[in-house]
Formats: sequence, structure tokens, C-alpha cells
Amino acid sequence: MENSSKEEYKIQSFDLETQKLLKTALKDPGSVDLEKVSNVIVDQSLEDQIFSREAGRICYTIVQAEAKQTNGNVFRRNLLNRLQQAFKAREETRKRSTQEWVCLVSFICNIFDYLKVNNMPMMALVQPVYDCLFRLAQSDALQNEEEVDCLVLQLHRIGDQLEKMNMQLMDELFSLLRDGFLLQEDLSSMGRLLLLEILEFRAGGWSLSETAQKYYYSEVTD
Amino acid sequence: TMSAHQKYRYENDCKPDENRNKGASRWSQCRKRGADGSLRTSHAVEEPGKCSQSSRRPESFTTPESEGPVSRVKNWGDEVEAEEVRSNVQRDAHRYRRRILEADFPQRDRKISSGSSDSRDSRDSKESPAKGDIESDEATLIRRQKQINYGKNTLAYDRYIKEIPKHLRQPGVHPKTPNKFKKYSRRSWDQQIKLWRVKLHAWDPPAEEGNDVQQIEEIDLGEIMDFELDVECSGDTESPCPISSGASLALAEVIFTICYPIPSKISSNSISQYFHFFLFLMIDFCGGNFPCYVLGYTHFVYTAFDNF
Repeated sequence: MENSSKEEYKIQSFDLETQKLLKTALKDPGSVDLEKVSNVIVDQSLEDQIFSREAGRICYTIVQAEAKQTNGNVFRRNLLNRLQQAFKAREETRKRSTQEWVCLVSFICNIFDYLKVNNMPMMALVQPVYDCLFRLAQSDALQNEEEVDCLVLQLHRIGDQLEKMNMQLMDELFSLLRDGFLLQEDLSSMGRLLLLEILEFRAGGWSLSETAQKYYYSEVTD
Repeated sequence: TMSAHQKYRYENDCKPDENRNKGASRWSQCRKRGADGSLRTSHAVEEPGKCSQSSRRPESFTTPESEGPVSRVKNWGDEVEAEEVRSNVQRDAHRYRRRILEADFPQRDRKISSGSSDSRDSRDSKESPAKGDIESDEATLIRRQKQINYGKNTLAYDRYIKEIPKHLRQPGVHPKTPNKFKKYSRRSWDQQIKLWRVKLHAWDPPAEEGNDVQQIEEIDLGEIMDFELDVECSGDTESPCPISSGASLALAEVIFTICYPIPSKISSNSISQYFHFFLFLMIDFCGGNFPCYVLGYTHFVYTAFDNF
């Protein structure tokens, strides 16, 4: 039981005391300081690459648990406002550290993916997510494999949802990606590969044909 | 007596959700008529929340598919909460329409005769609205939902639903959440909410009995205030002169008999007690603008009751 919830929520990177806090928050949210819990999660997500891609799940569970137990949304409210602050400061973050910047993007996208409102994505996050992806599609970011990798990861995970929320912006984003692929000379070959794959992925209705799958992933062992 | 003054002093404060608040002076907040004598419409004032919604300016990156422009100033916590209320209301509306349709065209063997009413709150087939009579204005539904949420977000409501399960609730006896999908005037709806919340106070945790009393008296004062307005209106409110004896006599009699019905045998002493109490009430509501009128009334009323 202990290990499986660690696995499920990917909280191994937290110290033991914090892990305990998080587990209590999942079971009995009313008994903990939910603002503190959300801060702990946000802080970790902005630094830890693995956790930033997975934090959405634990957040969702805590939000549901709190709503059910106390009809409150202290956790969600604080989480979103912290996220908003981090988002506002994204350009400085990017300048300071690429790793923190990609963590931020992964985290926002993961929250968008998991924290639904009545099974619908949060509309308030649509534009901020697009803003992040557009930033990653700028030529200075495309030079950087880490940023391209982050970009295509997010599009794999939430591209279809984003497109449904706003087709026009997705079209514009992909225009930039096409241009980058074709025209940008300082792209690494890995960068180009990643871009080509995502272009095909979207063209295939957000899935890869079998032949394309073989082409891009035949080297990858299960 | 000072206790009366203190007890009702809070009534003078402007309550943001009081529809009749208008004008700068505390006196004017009570008025049904403006200074020129014309009737004020009680519900012309929009809630502050609604104003900001209707005057929202589009953000530079409003997306075509988004359901409405989003204010730049809001934080994400607030925005998502607002989304949630809205989508809950939309979901409720779908469910409600389906239920109404089912009531009109029963899909199963369920008998729904015109006289019976389903046990579900939102479906009284007795009063089942025709499809056109469902409240469908989203802004209204959201406002009503927020009012319902305030009521449900109380200890009293929690205790109530735990104590009285749905199948044991009796109409008229137990508080019933107003149905936001039925067509009601703004005033009617606000009154229903008020009464519902007052009823819920019966389940307040024991430590808060004091509040109970205040809440109930708040309602009573409303009645008194309404009536008092008519008194004020008939007079010349701007001039400090007492009004003519005939008019004030009639008015004073009317106030007195309606607010404090007088039993046949009553000493003039007790009448004057009531009247002092009432005078303090009026001075309070009128924010100190009243004394000169009061003196005028006092004289005339005392005279009137000497004759009883």
C-alpha cells in the first residue's frame, strides 16, 4: 500500500516527513494545512523534472478529497494562484534556468491535464498554456533540445484537448513549428526529428500511423 | 430606552445585498420615495458583482472559442471557481430540463397524475412549469446559485441535512431550497432565499443563539420599516415644520394600530410605553433626521389617545 501510492503519485523525491504530509492530505484533507501542502507541491514541481510531469494526479486527488470532505477548495485555489505567480515570472525563470523553465511548463500542462472542472479542462489555463508553448516555439528556444523535447512532450499529452479549446491558436502554433523545421538552420538533428514527428502526429489526428511509429520509435526497446 | 436603540442600530449600516440601498444618507437608504416624492424602483440597482461582469473588457488574447472574455485582473483561483459555478449551473439546467420532459412524457410506468407531486425538490408536477417557463438566463441562474451556495455553506445547513434525511422532510415544516429554475421576480426570489435561510437558522450550533434572535428580528424590522416609509412619505420631508394636526393624527393612529395593535382595555401609560419604543425605532432608522417630526407626532398622538 505504501509503495504503490508512492509509485502512483511519484512522491519518492520528497523527504519522509513531507511524504507523510501528502499521504494525510490525500486521506484526510481537513486535518492538514492545505495551503502548506499546495506550496510544497508547487515548490517541488518547479525544480524536479520527474515530479513536474506527474504532479497533476496527486493534485487532482487532493482537490476531490477536499471537496468531498469539507466542500472547500483551499488547496486548488492556492495551487492555482501559486501557478499564476510562477507563470507571470516565466521569462525571468527561463533566463535563469532552462531546467526550471521546462519544469514550469510541464507542471502547468500537467495541471491542465488532470485538474478538470466537471470533466472539462479549466478554461482559465488555456491561454497560459498556449503562451508557454508559443514561447517554446520561438527560434531561440527551438535551438535548445531540452526545450523542444518539453514542447513535443506537452503536445503529445494535451495537444488534442488544447486544439478542441482553441483550434486557431493550435494552427498558429503549428505554423511556427513548420517554419522552424524548414527554415531554422541552427536546429540540431534531434530537434528536427522531434519537430517532424510532432507535425506528423497532429496531421494524423493526434496519433501516429503504424509506419510512422516504426520510423520514429523502432530503436526503442519496450 | 437605550437598549432598543442599540439593538437595532445595525440596521443603519448599508448592506451590500440590500436591494433598496440607494443614495448617500442613511435616511435615504430606507426610502421608498426620492426627495421629489417619486417612487423608487427597488430593484433597479445591480449587484456589484453583476456590474463587473457586464462591464468586463475583453483581454487582448480572448480566444474565439472561449465562452466569454476574462478580466485581466482576476486570479486563476477565482476564475476557476467562477467556471465551476457556471458549469454546475449548466449541468443542473440540463438535468432539470430532462426531468421536466420526463414528467410531461413519462418514459416508464411511473404514474404522474396532475395532482401528485414527485418527492424530488425540483420536480413538483403540480407546479411543473411548461418548457417556456424555465428560468434560463445564465447570469440569473449563476446569481441564484451563489445565493444558494452561501446558504448551503453554513454549519446550520450541514446539521440540517444530517439530521433530517430527504425522505423525512415535510413541506412547510422543513426548509426547502428554492428552485432556481422556476420563474420568479427578483424580489420574490430574494424573499424566498431570506426565508429559507432564516428557517435554516433553527439548526445553528447551540452557541449561536444570539444570532438567531437577531436574524428573526431583522425580518420583523423589515415589515416595520416598510410601513414607516409610508408615514414619512406623506409628509413634507424637507422642511423642519411639523405637519398639520389632522394629517399627523391620522398617520399616528394608523402607525400605532398596525404596528402595535391596541387591545380594547389599555391604560394610557402602556400606550405611551409602546410609543416611546416606537419613537426610538424611528429615530434610529431615520438616522437622526427625525426628532422634529417626532415631537410633532408625540403631541398629536398623545392627544389622540387621551380620547380612547
